[in-house]
Amino acid sequence: METMTGLTGLFDVFLSAGLLWLAWQALASTDLFRAIVLFISFGLLMALAWARLGAPDIALAEAAIGAGLTGALLLSALARLPRDVPAGDAGCRTAFVVRVLAWLATMGLASTLAWVVFHLQPVAPGPGNAVIEQLEASGVGNPVTAVLLNFRGYDTLLEMAVLLLALLGVWSLGVEAEQQVTGADPVLDGLARLLLPLLILVAAYLLWVGAHAPGGAFQAGSVLGAAGVLLLLAGWRLRAAMSSAWMRAVLVAGPAAFVAMAVTTLLIEGRLLEFPQAQAGMLIFVLEACATLSIGATLAALYLGGIPQAEDDA
Amino acid sequence: MTAADLYALAGVGLVGLGLYALIVHAHLLRKILAINVTGSGIFLVLVGLSGTGPDAIPQAMVITGIVVAVSATALALALMLRLTALSGQAELPQDPDDAH
Amino acid sequence: MDGLVTQLPWAIILILLPLAAGMACFVAPRIAGALGLLSVVAVLLATLGLGLQLASAGVYRHSIGGWGAPLGIELYADGLSLLMLGITALVGIGVSLYAGAYFTREQAGRFWPVWLFLLAALNGLFLVDDVFNLYVCLELIGLSAVSLTALAGTTAALAGAMRYLLATLLGSLLYLLGVALLYHTFGTVDISLLAGRVTPLPALWAALGLMGAGLILKTALFPFHFWLPAAHGSAPAPVSAVLSALVVKGSFYILLRLWIELYAPAGGQSAGLLFGVLGSAAVLWGSIQALRQARLKLMVAYSTVAQIGYLFLAFPLGGAAGYAWQGALYLLVSHALAKSAMFLAAGNLLRFGGHERIAHLDRVVQRLPLTVGAFAMAGVSIMGLPPSGGFIGKWLLLQTALSQGQWMLALVMVLGSVLAAAYVFRVLGHAFTAAAVPHDPIAVPLRMEWAAVLLAAGSIVLGLLAVPLFTLAGIGGFAGMGASLP
Repeated sequence: METMTGLTGLFDVFLSAGLLWLAWQALASTDLFRAIVLFISFGLLMALAWARLGAPDIALAEAAIGAGLTGALLLSALARLPRDVPAGDAGCRTAFVVRVLAWLATMGLASTLAWVVFHLQPVAPGPGNAVIEQLEASGVGNPVTAVLLNFRGYDTLLEMAVLLLALLGVWSLGVEAEQQVTGADPVLDGLARLLLPLLILVAAYLLWVGAHAPGGAFQAGSVLGAAGVLLLLAGWRLRAAMSSAWMRAVLVAGPAAFVAMAVTTLLIEGRLLEFPQAQAGMLIFVLEACATLSIGATLAALYLGGIPQAEDDA
Repeated sequence: MTAADLYALAGVGLVGLGLYALIVHAHLLRKILAINVTGSGIFLVLVGLSGTGPDAIPQAMVITGIVVAVSATALALALMLRLTALSGQAELPQDPDDAH
Repeated sequence: MDGLVTQLPWAIILILLPLAAGMACFVAPRIAGALGLLSVVAVLLATLGLGLQLASAGVYRHSIGGWGAPLGIELYADGLSLLMLGITALVGIGVSLYAGAYFTREQAGRFWPVWLFLLAALNGLFLVDDVFNLYVCLELIGLSAVSLTALAGTTAALAGAMRYLLATLLGSLLYLLGVALLYHTFGTVDISLLAGRVTPLPALWAALGLMGAGLILKTALFPFHFWLPAAHGSAPAPVSAVLSALVVKGSFYILLRLWIELYAPAGGQSAGLLFGVLGSAAVLWGSIQALRQARLKLMVAYSTVAQIGYLFLAFPLGGAAGYAWQGALYLLVSHALAKSAMFLAAGNLLRFGGHERIAHLDRVVQRLPLTVGAFAMAGVSIMGLPPSGGFIGKWLLLQTALSQGQWMLALVMVLGSVLAAAYVFRVLGHAFTAAAVPHDPIAVPLRMEWAAVLLAAGSIVLGLLAVPLFTLAGIGGFAGMGASLP
């Protein structure tokens, strides 16, 4: 990253300021709908920031998951909040003293952290170079994919479990998914029919290209999840499909594939998640494919927000 | 100061904003938004401190973090909705069951 | 046979098995109960296997993927890990036996997958040597603990779960920020490598301060304990047992590791004083609040707040000569068994009488003798009376405090024990008397009573197992343990 010069420097300053301003506006707004919309804009601006920071994989993930799916979840939750619940407090319920103390504390913390961050000097070099050196041996060409699926694949195994666990948690609350009361808007339905194959194609492309360019299982999975959300919005009766045993199998496919791979590598290579160099690329692709399906299904199910019931009113 | 440093500092600012909002606002949805903003700030710090040259490890960590964040948000929203359905208000009760 | 036992990768089995079993329980809820119980038994056996492996071959280290730190992640098991894994397995068995009879069919289908994921996450936390992976483990633990808390379905449980979720997320985020600073300053997230690289820099203090703050929040150290009573008090009984016995100990374990491996070697001292003050406040405040509670489970939850305070008293004492760490660890282990037994007993009393008002316990000593016996045994350990694990832990801490001239800490410890005796005997006293308004009793399955009894008996038996326990804990020489036995 070059030292800030001219136009790019100005752009970065505006982008950073924009991020802070949007976040402040989103958090300070007492109108919840406005707050969420500002938050989504904040997410999209973050995606730009990631692009500027040379992290296109994160940019894709942020746009799809951070802004898109999180935004959808927030809006859906807002819609389900009962009307008579005061939406957005006047803000004056928190005592003035508490506000002042909180302001002082967070200002103090932020200033200290800013000072530390500004003066941070690395004492020892990170393994960034080691990643590049071992990239060849990892089986993929994209260093982020290599880290996620090979070098630190154990993190990803647990992370898949976190995602599934969130769904388990949501389902354990015992709420049944609501029936869509209104019929589908024909325009939205037509759009969904058009977009669905396109989204699947994009997801498949992101999955495949993630091996040697920005992309990968999480980005692909989130596009699939977005497709699922679109279908739910368009009124498609997915509940029968989502309550079936097949659905449960798809949901666990990602983490289960990881665990199966872990056990297999343990038995064959004697070491957890050690891929034989020749097959590493293919094995990683298999893992990513299963993960993509799981992530997509889990995100769509999280948007549904309740336990899907097989019975469906005509 | 490089561009990355600027973003790292912006990240610290976001963390501060998020923490303040988390403490001060009572409505659960606003607390959840605050948590998300704080998380985004931390991710910016994590990658922004990389400085020159893209470092794949913090980037992978951030992607992991984003997935964890959406999982947590989904659970938090579901809990909020359930709590609101039962108690009628989308805020945490002030006196947590300190019965005498 | 012996060769086989030491060759199997027990550590990996401990993590993958409950994970796989949890997923299986999710896909096939009909067999969830049986499969879950079987898995927990398997986890206990695997823990024994790991113990044998460590005893014969020393510490266990495994480079996942063959890459090795700092590129990859490493698993690491020493005596301390084994101790934590041991109580996880034991409490896990007790709770699983109890849960089998406690939950309805439908609730069980929701309980087992999440509980098994929690078990896998706890095991993973105690076995990994990587601060970022610990973050993922912490999140896994947090989300599963919150989901389990919310299982009760009551408004109180949901409010408690929500508060718990927000607190635990905040804690994880602060921790992650610390990880970011550590990585960019020292170039690795591997604890063993970091231990070799840390130098006293502002970035290190900031990082450890953030991580410490996050972990203290998760461990519910005073004054960050605000979320605990509501969550532990209104969760289903087996869940409360796991929360108090294991979940809060996980973040404490990380704090201990960071303290010994990173903080102390870099010359950190002052936080010890802070922990001592906060720990003392926790002991006193928690005990007093416990005494004031009208509801049994809330009382037990506040008792947890107090007992956690004791653990933090070891930090100011650990630097100099003495047995502070051993004492704290013994307390930790005994508390896990005793507190889980107490919560299970409380669950039995709640099931039996339909309420949990301490003043209205209706002659339960005659009608539920096993349960009251379990509560009494657990109480002995919590009070620190001999013979019990609690006694040994408190005795070591007290001895160390006196030998270092820390009179205030010693006084706090003694006061804490006196207050603990007060709130335990208050419950036992009411157990003998008839209630003003008799309630219709509901039968309590024997299984639930025996689970409580076994766990409570465990905390007593620990009072006799000091030497073998310390020998085990000393494998790997963490914190200088194992060098000399008290």
